[in-house]
Amino acid sequence: MAKSVLSNETELSILEDISFEISAGETIAIIGTSGAGKSTLMTLLAGLDIPSSGEIELLGQPLSLLDEEQRAKIRSESIGFVFQNFLLIPSLSALENVTLPAVLRGDGEDSAKARGLLQSVGLSGRETHLPAQLSGGEQQRVALARAFMTQPEILFADEPTGNLDQHTAENIIDLLFAMNRDHGTTLVLITHDAVLAGRCERLLTIDAGRLVEPM
Amino acid sequence: MVFRWSWREIWSGQLWPVTAALTLIVACVVALSALAVRVEKVMTDQGRSMMAADLVFRSANPVPESLLSDAEDLELSLSRQIRFQTMAFSDNNMQLVSAKAVQSSYPLRGDLLLTGAAGLQKNAVQPGELWLAERLFSLLDVKIGDIVAVGDAELQVSGRIEAQPELAYNPFRTMPGVFIHYSDLDKTGAVQLGSRVQYRIFFNGENDALKELQDNHQAQAGDSWISEENQGRSADLIIKAKQYLSLTILMVILMASVTLVLTCRHYAASRAESVAMLKSMGAGRRWLRGWLLSQAAVMFSCSLIIGSVIGIALEFLLRLPLQGILPQQLPGYGWLPFAFGASVALLIGLPALGIPLLRLLDTAAIEVLQKQNSKGSKKNWWLAAAPVTAFLLFYGASKLVWMVCIGLILLFLVLAAISYALLHLLSSGKWGAAMHLALSRIKRSPQTTMMQLAALSGSLMLVAVIWLVRADLLGDWQQTLPPDAANVFALNIAPEEQRRYLQQLDNNSIQRSEAYPIIRGRLTHINDLNAKDKAAENNQDVHALRREINFTWAEKLPVYNELTAGKWTAENAVSIEASLAADLGISVGDKLSFSVNSLPFSARVNSIRTVQWQSMKPNFYFIFSKDVIAQMPATWLVSFRIDEKQIPVLNQLGRDYPTVTLLDFRTMGERVQSMLVQISWSLSVLAALGVISGILLIFTLLRLSLKQRQNEITLYRTLGAGRKRISRTLWSEYGVMAAAAGLTAVAGAEALLFSLMKWGFQLQPSVHIIMWFALPALAIVIVFVSLKSVIQQLLTPLK
Repeated sequence: MAKSVLSNETELSILEDISFEISAGETIAIIGTSGAGKSTLMTLLAGLDIPSSGEIELLGQPLSLLDEEQRAKIRSESIGFVFQNFLLIPSLSALENVTLPAVLRGDGEDSAKARGLLQSVGLSGRETHLPAQLSGGEQQRVALARAFMTQPEILFADEPTGNLDQHTAENIIDLLFAMNRDHGTTLVLITHDAVLAGRCERLLTIDAGRLVEPM
Repeated sequence: MVFRWSWREIWSGQLWPVTAALTLIVACVVALSALAVRVEKVMTDQGRSMMAADLVFRSANPVPESLLSDAEDLELSLSRQIRFQTMAFSDNNMQLVSAKAVQSSYPLRGDLLLTGAAGLQKNAVQPGELWLAERLFSLLDVKIGDIVAVGDAELQVSGRIEAQPELAYNPFRTMPGVFIHYSDLDKTGAVQLGSRVQYRIFFNGENDALKELQDNHQAQAGDSWISEENQGRSADLIIKAKQYLSLTILMVILMASVTLVLTCRHYAASRAESVAMLKSMGAGRRWLRGWLLSQAAVMFSCSLIIGSVIGIALEFLLRLPLQGILPQQLPGYGWLPFAFGASVALLIGLPALGIPLLRLLDTAAIEVLQKQNSKGSKKNWWLAAAPVTAFLLFYGASKLVWMVCIGLILLFLVLAAISYALLHLLSSGKWGAAMHLALSRIKRSPQTTMMQLAALSGSLMLVAVIWLVRADLLGDWQQTLPPDAANVFALNIAPEEQRRYLQQLDNNSIQRSEAYPIIRGRLTHINDLNAKDKAAENNQDVHALRREINFTWAEKLPVYNELTAGKWTAENAVSIEASLAADLGISVGDKLSFSVNSLPFSARVNSIRTVQWQSMKPNFYFIFSKDVIAQMPATWLVSFRIDEKQIPVLNQLGRDYPTVTLLDFRTMGERVQSMLVQISWSLSVLAALGVISGILLIFTLLRLSLKQRQNEITLYRTLGAGRKRISRTLWSEYGVMAAAAGLTAVAGAEALLFSLMKWGFQLQPSVHIIMWFALPALAIVIVFVSLKSVIQQLLTPLK
């Protein structure tokens, strides 16, 4: 598949000739320099956008044939996200932020489960705190707990430690991999950190919009 | 959770400025319309009590039975009156009087105060009674209990008239009055075929029924309907005050709407990321729509409840200074102001919230990872049709409101261009680093700059207009009826008494007008054509042609009459009042023929003047040059002001010159004066409210705009820019903006004021020099205060 966008009336190719498969339960890192197309690739994989040509099949469903609402449904049922800048809702408490995906899916607030997840990321006692009252590392832990709330089949993590200091980053990564293991989730990790990428089972390197060497 | 979430978005999130703006709209509309409902009721009641009923039918002919039976069907209460002029005779004297034959139910509104023997007070006229105006006791030389013949009826004097509704404002139409009962009318023999009688029917009842009655019976020739809206001076006051009230409400709503639109845009922008995140987590459009809708619903409910409570409190506060002049028992305002507040908030909120929130709904999920350079779609702009349609339906007929709107649009188009050009011109000059940075910032984001400039100058303009319209209105009222206006007219001063009479006034330091000779006569021909035919040709029923009117001559025109055409000349000339000239199609140079005591003469029109009939100064339709009528026999007229301590002088004058007629307008003058005070106060309080909310709006806008700069400024700080440099840049940027907006607002306000005064309130427009300095100064002060209040926070470096 390929992705291009219109910029100032000219077509700009972002991704070209990309083709690979990810098996269930795999942990995979997509690495590359800034502007290589990593994030674009992730938006396509997660169904946030559709490719200009070619096809992506996610959990057995061809994404290009689905409309936005159908793709949203897949995301709410099977996909979790961890973002570089955490993206918590500022007016919701830590606990409410964790229960949010369940609410979006229509499952209602499962506070007990959310509490359990917060406990597993080491934040018990901080349930009622608002994001602004938490440190960056704590906010990312809340985001991790949120990502696992709906038992997703796939977890997409976009530079999850990009905004954290090294020590905190290591803790978060340990936690991420531990939780991933416990929940048996497929992990797609985007990073430009080779050490972090090294902890994944498989590496995909993107350079100037092309897959360099599937490993 | 969604409800809890919405609640927190309001109180701890970004939604509270939006809620505050919406609350402000509700509070202002509730307070102002509640006050308007009350003041209107009070003013209407006052007007109605001055005319003795809710509605009056006046006719030169007997009242048709159909009108009376219709009134009965509509369940209106009514009272009849017949007015006529007749001679009154006592044993010692006789006097032409104006008699009112009334039923015992008179007046249906207002106060009739009669004082009988031994100070017994009564409020209605009973059969067989005769009540005399104070003056008649001396003119007829009678006391309570004496017999006076009114026409053919011999009646015993019951007492004196202390106060009565239906006072005339025209001094020349006032004759000493008497009240008799309706049932005694026949005995007087005054009402006969061909006699000049005026029939009046007073009606009281529900407004709808009154309106229906009026609609069913269109006034024929010689008839007229009198309601509080068409009865002279006080009606004029009421109408202008009402116009001002609705103008202020409109402007406050406009200003609050601007705040709402801007705060809402700001909110939507700050929530784009959250929406993208929710979408990435699988939130569908329906869920998001429900989410935003619940936020809007919670916000509306809060605004309506809090706004209504604040509105009630505000109405109370607004009323505080008016307590002395408003009646003790205030009419309630009902649920209307709340319904009005809610609908205004909904109508404005629909597009103001709807457009940015629906656009927020369109935020792509992909934005969670990659900022998209998407242009805002305009597909939801149809929502703006809701308030526009409502506005047209509600205000469509109001000239004043159209003027404000067209003024605003024109202002934004023309002046935005000018100020933008001005800013460009400025930026091409050589400036210090701070100013240079500021100007380049202003130039870099033209859309934002223009929006801020428009909001700033627009609200400044509205503030200036609210304040200055009030000043102009009050100024005009003070001018026509200043606190030291004359309150007594002396008529029928014989030529040989004239000098002595004036001398006596001057000796007692009584402020008086010039004395004018009075000669009664008629206008007969215009350029040798019959004047009545000419009037008919112009489709005018000219009152001044139906009776003898007062002529005078003078060496020069009174200074308080304003010339609109021609100029005063001293030979064979006459100066005519402007509205009469317009009704009769008379212009300068026309030949007019008159008759005085059947003696014909003519003169050429040398000038046309405007006359303030209510100014309590001697005023005339025709003023001749001395050579035309000075040789004719005349009596003299003078008006003067009597203060409380000069009353003995007035009594002395009455005794010294028994043949001079004194028309005492003290009571009426005081009544109009107190009404003027009351309305002036209401207007000032309203104006103050408008100005305060305008300034608050500007303050909010500036703070909002500064807060949006937080990231940029933090970045400058982090990059090492000094506090001084940044604060100087900010001062320069906002200072330039304030000055430009101030000047723009001045020009706009002046143009708007001119049109409002000329075509809306029909008053003489004037230039407001002070505003040209005050408004830019005010703008800069507000900018200073706003900047001062946020600058510390803005200058904190990145944590």
